[in-house]
Amino acid sequence: MIAYFSNLATLVAIFGILAVTLNFMVGFAGIFSVAHAVFFGLGAYAGAQIALTVTPNPFLACAVAAGIAGVLSLCLALPALRVRGEYFVAASLGLQMVALTLFSEVKSLTGGIGGLTNIPRPQVFDVEVGVLPLALLALGVLLWAIHAMANGSFGRTLKAIRDAESAAEALGKPVAVAKALAVAFACAGAGVAGALFALHMSFVNVESFTLDQSVLVMAMVIVGGTGTLFGPLVGAVLLLSLPSALSFLTFIPPTEVGSVQQIIYGLAMTLLMVFRPAGLLGDQNKGKSHA
Amino acid sequence: MTQLANNAPLTCEGLARSFGGVKAVQGVSLALPAGAVTALVGPNGAGKTTVFNLITGNLKADEGTAQIRGRPIIGLKPWQVARLGVARSFQDLRLFTQMNVRDNVLAATERGAWFWQGGDRRARLAAAEAAMEATGLTALAEARAVDLAYAERKFLSMARILAAGADIWLLDEPASGLDLSSRLRFGQLLRDARARGVAICLIEHNLDVVVDLADRIAFLDRGLVLAEGAPREIMTDPKLAAIYFGDRSHEAAA
Repeated sequence: MIAYFSNLATLVAIFGILAVTLNFMVGFAGIFSVAHAVFFGLGAYAGAQIALTVTPNPFLACAVAAGIAGVLSLCLALPALRVRGEYFVAASLGLQMVALTLFSEVKSLTGGIGGLTNIPRPQVFDVEVGVLPLALLALGVLLWAIHAMANGSFGRTLKAIRDAESAAEALGKPVAVAKALAVAFACAGAGVAGALFALHMSFVNVESFTLDQSVLVMAMVIVGGTGTLFGPLVGAVLLLSLPSALSFLTFIPPTEVGSVQQIIYGLAMTLLMVFRPAGLLGDQNKGKSHA
Repeated sequence: MTQLANNAPLTCEGLARSFGGVKAVQGVSLALPAGAVTALVGPNGAGKTTVFNLITGNLKADEGTAQIRGRPIIGLKPWQVARLGVARSFQDLRLFTQMNVRDNVLAATERGAWFWQGGDRRARLAAAEAAMEATGLTALAEARAVDLAYAERKFLSMARILAAGADIWLLDEPASGLDLSSRLRFGQLLRDARARGVAICLIEHNLDVVVDLADRIAFLDRGLVLAEGAPREIMTDPKLAAIYFGDRSHEAAA
């Protein structure tokens, strides 16, 4: 039972990192990416390779994962500089598909469909450390950084660009630089989550980095409340623990658990969007349609 | 013109731009002198806003040149033009709607796009407070822009321009839809800025506002400057009045 909850808590922390970093892009910069799992994946493969071939030190794995995901996020930033809204969603969807194909084909780096196995447990100075404290540490640092940026000039710049890009530019702000930085920061965070995921599972393959995963993380952000600090974290807790909680309901026949779970899950999401359109922690004046 | 141009931080020469077959602006030359209000007047579709967009780099000019204090600006990006001291307002305001009034104005004082801002943070805060004070928005500092009343939104748009610290202002119908008392307050803002030496260019349809505030008028029609001069000369020209009020019979006769 303890192992079960420890596993769940670790996954919540890792997906919490994904959700709060995606929220930084969506909620502050208005960049709706459905390719967050790509950078999660890049970080996971990078972290796994470091652990497999260089050192089991998790800090190096996270740093390299953040670096690779952050730099390659320019692939995502470039379309974000040119198109907005639904057009950008389409562009990120394309990136997600290309990346998934590369993940399963570049076998020397990713192990192909089979993935990378036997990733060693993380060690600091030859002492084995759990992934949960590392993930909580990373989540805490990222939340602090996002909080600081949200209340500072960089957050203001991003929100200004989100609300009226041309006006922000007319005030002397180089919009492209700010957007690229926001994307790089968020994707580097996703990279860290990926490295921790690889170390936690000791196995990674392409199944974890699909469009479904990107959509799940986006759902966490929206359910919790875009543009809020803790909303996406609440979303991550709910969306990961709700399915497991439902499986404890004994009156559902075991053979039907799967489909009942999906129905309850889907209904809850729909009702939430009807009654709290800005998410659980969001400002409810914001999400409503005014038409 | 040359006499004015010596004192003009912004000049443009022969600006032209077509959209498909439509010549929106064809050879507009202007000089905006420091410490003066130049009004761009003309019927809808005359090319007034297009002239602003060509100057600020939001549109690429097909032909022509423009300079700020002698430095060519055609081909620069909007943020680069802004950093040379140009602040503009938009007809549709383009406020940062989900941000509060203070953040809207503070954002106007911050040009850096990195994780931090260089320069004096206290000076920026002071500039933002002063801009809110001057536009009567201090009491609304915490209100979201989207929740403001119409006139307050227009003043917030002006507050951003004040806070930006620019010395060339391009204002696109800043007084439209304002009631008399708001218009008087707006007029005072402009007079104060003029007294500080700001070069102001104003697109305005309300001729009372134009006569009240403008030192010079440039009359645009179909992308051409038809006349330029003191308000009294322009406003009393029957031909221009006919064009402005939509009577083009004299053209058919000619």
